[in-house]
Amino acid sequence: MNSPFGTQKQAGGRRTMSSGASNAILLLPALSLCMIFIFVPAMLAISGSLYSYGLTSPTRDFVGLGNYIKLVQDSIFWVSLKNNLIIVFGSIVLQIGIGCVLAAILDRGITFGSTFFRTIIFMPVIVSAVAVAVVWLIILDPNIGMLNKIVQSVGLTPPSLGWLGDPKISIWIVLGVAAWQQTGFMMVLILAGLQGVPQERYEAAALDGARGLRAFWYITLPSIRNILIVAVLITTIGGFKVFDFVFVLTKGGPANATQVLGTYTYLQAFTLGNLGYANAIAVVLLLIAVLIGWLQLKVSRQA
Amino acid sequence: MSYLMKNRSRIAAAGLALGVLGAAGGANAQEIKMWNLADAGGGEAEFLLDAAAEFSETHPGVTFVFETFPNEAYKTQIQIALAGSSPPDVFFNWSGEDAMRLARDGLALDLTEYANAEGGFAHEMSDGWLSSFAIDGRYYGMPTHAVSKYFYYSTAFFEEHGLSEPTTIAELGGLCTSIREIDSSIVPWPLGNNDRWKLNHLITMLNHRVLGDAGTAADYNLSAPADELFTNPGYVTAWQAVLDLQSAGCFEGAPNATAHESANAMFSAEASPMIYCGSWCAAQFHGEGFTEFGLFRLPAFEGGAGDPGAGFLVPTGYQVSAKTEHPELVAQWISSLVSDENAAKFASTMEAIPSNATLIDTVDGTEHYKWIAEDMASATGSVNVLDVLLENNVSNAYLDAGVEILNGTKTPEEVMADIRAVAIAAQDAM
Repeated sequence: MNSPFGTQKQAGGRRTMSSGASNAILLLPALSLCMIFIFVPAMLAISGSLYSYGLTSPTRDFVGLGNYIKLVQDSIFWVSLKNNLIIVFGSIVLQIGIGCVLAAILDRGITFGSTFFRTIIFMPVIVSAVAVAVVWLIILDPNIGMLNKIVQSVGLTPPSLGWLGDPKISIWIVLGVAAWQQTGFMMVLILAGLQGVPQERYEAAALDGARGLRAFWYITLPSIRNILIVAVLITTIGGFKVFDFVFVLTKGGPANATQVLGTYTYLQAFTLGNLGYANAIAVVLLLIAVLIGWLQLKVSRQA
Repeated sequence: MSYLMKNRSRIAAAGLALGVLGAAGGANAQEIKMWNLADAGGGEAEFLLDAAAEFSETHPGVTFVFETFPNEAYKTQIQIALAGSSPPDVFFNWSGEDAMRLARDGLALDLTEYANAEGGFAHEMSDGWLSSFAIDGRYYGMPTHAVSKYFYYSTAFFEEHGLSEPTTIAELGGLCTSIREIDSSIVPWPLGNNDRWKLNHLITMLNHRVLGDAGTAADYNLSAPADELFTNPGYVTAWQAVLDLQSAGCFEGAPNATAHESANAMFSAEASPMIYCGSWCAAQFHGEGFTEFGLFRLPAFEGGAGDPGAGFLVPTGYQVSAKTEHPELVAQWISSLVSDENAAKFASTMEAIPSNATLIDTVDGTEHYKWIAEDMASATGSVNVLDVLLENNVSNAYLDAGVEILNGTKTPEEVMADIRAVAIAAQDAM
């Protein structure tokens, strides 16, 4: 047998394990970790969502699908889901869109200082999200913040309720802060793809009269399609699991206007003590994650 | 005696270990883990370290671990820890629904026997104080001190412009208008409501001033019939008073986006002439070098049913985990914190009003501390704050309502309808 894990007696006389057994042993550590940190918590969340209980409750009351019925009727849950979708689609547009443009400029647009600009644009990525959010919290402060002063200095009026206090704009501000940090990562990802596009394609396209934006549209984008798919999936997953930016910047406020599923789960579980209901929200989030994961697998196989 | 100093950072984002003090090693070593608020102000850490050193002398082998958490994180962390397998032995808490729920859920130890034993804390304070952590006469916590809330005002600004302390809520609004007339860019009373509790404290008092204790009790403890819960029009009146104060120009433009720390800084930097702040703020302002201020209570509401002599009063203290391995020792430790000497030392260090006031006259506090101590002693009633008094979901609805009112996104009638709906659901779930 060719397999190093075959069952034939080897020249030295030592018997090796069967392929199945050795595979199982090799998989055991990863499976154990998955079991402990993914499957068991997921099962606990699913079973917990069928009960009504608090963080400190000594007993649990079985409510069946009661938490899910409550969830469907809960307007804040739908606001949270809508905000997650805003962040997902907004991030795709901002992070990948701007990242793509920046990558194209750095790849083909400028010849001097591209490493410097690449470093500067990438720098926010290496800072923790909490630190970024705290810095932006200061910048956005309506009394001492820099942004109000800049806006006023150009003759504009900042929002009277504050950037993070106005329920109509606060989610867009959160989106902007997240984009500020993550765009550099998307830029580097796309830039790596761009640098893999053969120069000959551009030269051939140029002979056919495709230059500039036409070349970008017909040559560059199709060439980096797989990279863009990965970028969209990463951004989508990030948009659904967003927590840190929202928690630090607004804690889901004002009056739940920036609540997302992550912060709403936290609010229900740890602030309001509705652990069963929080589990139900977490299960919905889990289902969304599973769906995205399935899409990711499907798309990447097709690609 | 040797002391072991070490730090722990259990929860990186929220927890900060103050230190550990105690006798090193030993066959009978016992560790007492204690949780406190990080922003308690004053010199609480020094007070506790000193008290721990004294306690260790009479209890050899006892070591202490002090861990602190920011205010917002604390309420969550303590619940998680108590439900877990290694909770703190003793932890800070506010008296109110949260503390009582921990007792009902069996997570806070019944301290009655230890409290009544020789040297126990029940001998150090009045029944009134003891009742703040009691259920049916059983003690589930030990109050150490109480906090209150006052208007702080710049005496120099008031004297310069001939302003005086208001005696009614309407006069308070008029005062704001006068200050805006002096200089429209001055924020008379920065609120700093981005954590939502600043307005919650104000509406707590306005509800009381308008409705009185009798008008709110059945709603607050959810014992009123469902069709009557929070239906008293006085609740709407109280919210309307907030809107009137806002219309009078009292608050900053974006109170829901302003941190309470920023609001405090606006006052201590004399950018704003007034602020409604806790009794603990006096020590903070002193620490920031601002001492030229006076104080007054939230004034009466004309025609309101509440006793204008009643003050905002939240007793705070310590509870003991039901899972502690050495309950008697922990009870002795917390009892030692309210001994005559330690209570006086605590009052002096923290500029707080201690539950054991035996030696209060010996405390060499600032003039503001003495004013607060006298005022709290003269209060004819006490009003506990809604965010610790109400059931969690109702409390959260009240916190959200304040944000909606200040943003003008809902009317007083609409927010009370929201609160009523949540209260009915909470009553159903009881």
